[in-house]
Amino acid sequence: MGAPGVHRPAAWSAWAISPDALALLGTLLALWWLASHGEWVNRAFLPTPEATLASLAAGLGLQGRPGALGGFLLATLQRVLLGGLLAAAAGVGLGALLGSSAAARVWLQPGLEFLRPLPASAVIPLAIAVFGLSPSMVLAVVVFGAMWPVLLATLHGMASVPRQLREVAALLQLGRVATVTRIALPHALPDIFSGVRLAMTVALIVSVVGEMVASQPGLGQALLLAARSFRAADLFAGLVLLGATGSAIHAMLAFAERRLLAWQRP
Amino acid sequence: MSAEALLAFDGVAVQLDGCEVLSPTSFSLRRGEFVCVIGPSGCGKTTLLRVATGLLAPSAGCVRREGRAMERPSREVAFVFQDYGRALLPWRTVARNVALALEAAGVPAAEQPARIEHVLGTVGLLAHAHLYPAQLSGGMQQRVQIARCLAQRPQVLVMDEPFGALDAMTREGLQDELARLVRDEQLTVLFVTHDLDEAIYLGDRVIVLCAQPTPQQPSLAADIDVPLPRPRHQVATREHPDFLRLRRDLYSRLRQP
Amino acid sequence: MPLQRLRPLAVPALLLAALEAYARTAGAGSDALAPPSAALAAWGRAFTDRSLFEASAFTLGGAALGLAIGAGLGLAAGMVLGLAPRAARACTPAIELLRPLPSVALIPLAMMIFGFGLWMEACVVAVATFWPLTILAQAAVRQVEPQWLEVAQVLGLSPWARATQIVLPAIVPRLFTALRLGAGIALVVAVTVEIAANPHGLGYAMSLAQQSLDPALMLAWLGWIGVLGYAVNAGLLHAERALRARMGVA
Repeated sequence: MGAPGVHRPAAWSAWAISPDALALLGTLLALWWLASHGEWVNRAFLPTPEATLASLAAGLGLQGRPGALGGFLLATLQRVLLGGLLAAAAGVGLGALLGSSAAARVWLQPGLEFLRPLPASAVIPLAIAVFGLSPSMVLAVVVFGAMWPVLLATLHGMASVPRQLREVAALLQLGRVATVTRIALPHALPDIFSGVRLAMTVALIVSVVGEMVASQPGLGQALLLAARSFRAADLFAGLVLLGATGSAIHAMLAFAERRLLAWQRP
Repeated sequence: MSAEALLAFDGVAVQLDGCEVLSPTSFSLRRGEFVCVIGPSGCGKTTLLRVATGLLAPSAGCVRREGRAMERPSREVAFVFQDYGRALLPWRTVARNVALALEAAGVPAAEQPARIEHVLGTVGLLAHAHLYPAQLSGGMQQRVQIARCLAQRPQVLVMDEPFGALDAMTREGLQDELARLVRDEQLTVLFVTHDLDEAIYLGDRVIVLCAQPTPQQPSLAADIDVPLPRPRHQVATREHPDFLRLRRDLYSRLRQP
Repeated sequence: MPLQRLRPLAVPALLLAALEAYARTAGAGSDALAPPSAALAAWGRAFTDRSLFEASAFTLGGAALGLAIGAGLGLAAGMVLGLAPRAARACTPAIELLRPLPSVALIPLAMMIFGFGLWMEACVVAVATFWPLTILAQAAVRQVEPQWLEVAQVLGLSPWARATQIVLPAIVPRLFTALRLGAGIALVVAVTVEIAANPHGLGYAMSLAQQSLDPALMLAWLGWIGVLGYAVNAGLLHAERALRARMGVA
């Protein structure tokens, strides 16, 4: 359900940052410095890099006094990771159940594909009606939204098992459960990983939106509060933290994928 | 039907999409026999194998194993696919691929390593036990498949053009290995190939199937014994007068419309 | 068999019927559920009092505007990166640094700069569509048959001529696919922005219905958003297939 598209995992250790790239990053940073100090854009909208850094340090409590950002970061992180985990478990579990039954696939899969383009955030009003403005509302929407990519990926992966492997299972008299656990699901693992990557992206997005709408503590709310008070440096500090969160999650997934799918790159 | 028939085809006929692929065919395999089946494409060789393993139900007649009708696949009848790439689990090592057969049979975990080692030793892949299929050549992957089938300790080994996708040198090496294996483990084999030379070289008997069966010319066109001495040799056997005679005879039978 | 065409609708129809029965009996008076028939009636009312058109026009407009900006810049950037591998290598770390930031995080920033309205929404949509379109366009360029590029070299074409005469026509089908995917993202992000902050459009109408404790209207908007998304994708898919047929591509 609705998220920015294709993403191949970029292993941090695998890029050698070329001198070109370093030069580009340096130039961008310099441009930012110039634009903010030269007030090419209104200072209220574009803070200086130093101000952003200072706000970040203060918010994380690195300047002696306790800061709020650390708590917000943890709240969002907790929500995303817990929601993502539950969504992955539900998606794989349901996917395994549906995928093992040819009848289920025929009757249900077309309907499920129809739900794919529906924005996960669109169920927020419905969730508010059911759960009220609470942390469980946000978590529920995160799990719901993040579950679909995993479910659909699991189904797709299980359906693409080669005929020969399915027949090997029959010839060895493996039985339904063993065929799913030893053949169909391992075969679907690369697809499931793509689904989980998408799910984590959705989880982050929905967490942020949910926090904004339901005024739940988290980075989404931090950004909203900063915007309302026109505190640009605090806003940018929040953005940096949120970007770092997204990167960290993707790096973790890339690491896990390289370990679990080591057999793909012998 | 002989009382010692291990696998017997009793009037097996197969109709697919309204077309008769195999007319009622009867023959049997005795314990320890190596029977090769040849024929042009479309003659139903693969269909015959799928019925033999229980993957396909015949439209008429039945296959009996040790006198009892086979209705579904059984671990007693092992099947080696031509497309070894798709028949192995790419996420498991060679040893673990073989282990699949043992897991399916419920062999206790403590016993598995010894049996895996024995079987890998038989096919000569002991040194490669920890590698993944993608790291192996085609010939080695096919040997892994054979090893997995052997781990089942089957009564019958059914092979569907197992060396068809390999280059000539690898094929010859595997033919001799298979012959040795079959002799050592006293296996019964039903082997399908489109290669006439291979069929005569490997088999104790050669069965010829023809395409588009008619009442005058049923699917089973010939069932011929191969009286060549064992062990067979790639050069000497192929120059043997009986080999050449059989080859001429079968060649003409195959070309018959 | 025509009956098989209806098969995908069987289970959803069953679920709707179950919802109808439940909402009329045990779930009556709930703030969250309403019978589909009531939702349909609410949709009809929105249709007649023109709120359906206004809301849909705003959301579609915001999505389209944002897509035009984001896709325009993204396709151009992607093509440049695809044609100049050195530039691509230089830009990759910067892209990987900026991309993980979810576009919705920019809602407060856009709100601060533009206030509420069309531009705020279009900006967030533009950023959201920029990244996937850049990547897809770059991939499309890299997938051009290397032999065609060799032909360009042999013919001595200038880089501009090579780009416009050989690369561009070759990638048009894939660019259209990228655009279709981008349209889906644009719609999703537009609705999300409206639910999160912007008091206009379909997302806001749905939130408003929920806050007014009108579950029938809320479900009507939700259903309409789904239908609209499906229709936009189906329409673009149809156009894409026609384009591919015209260009002789699979």
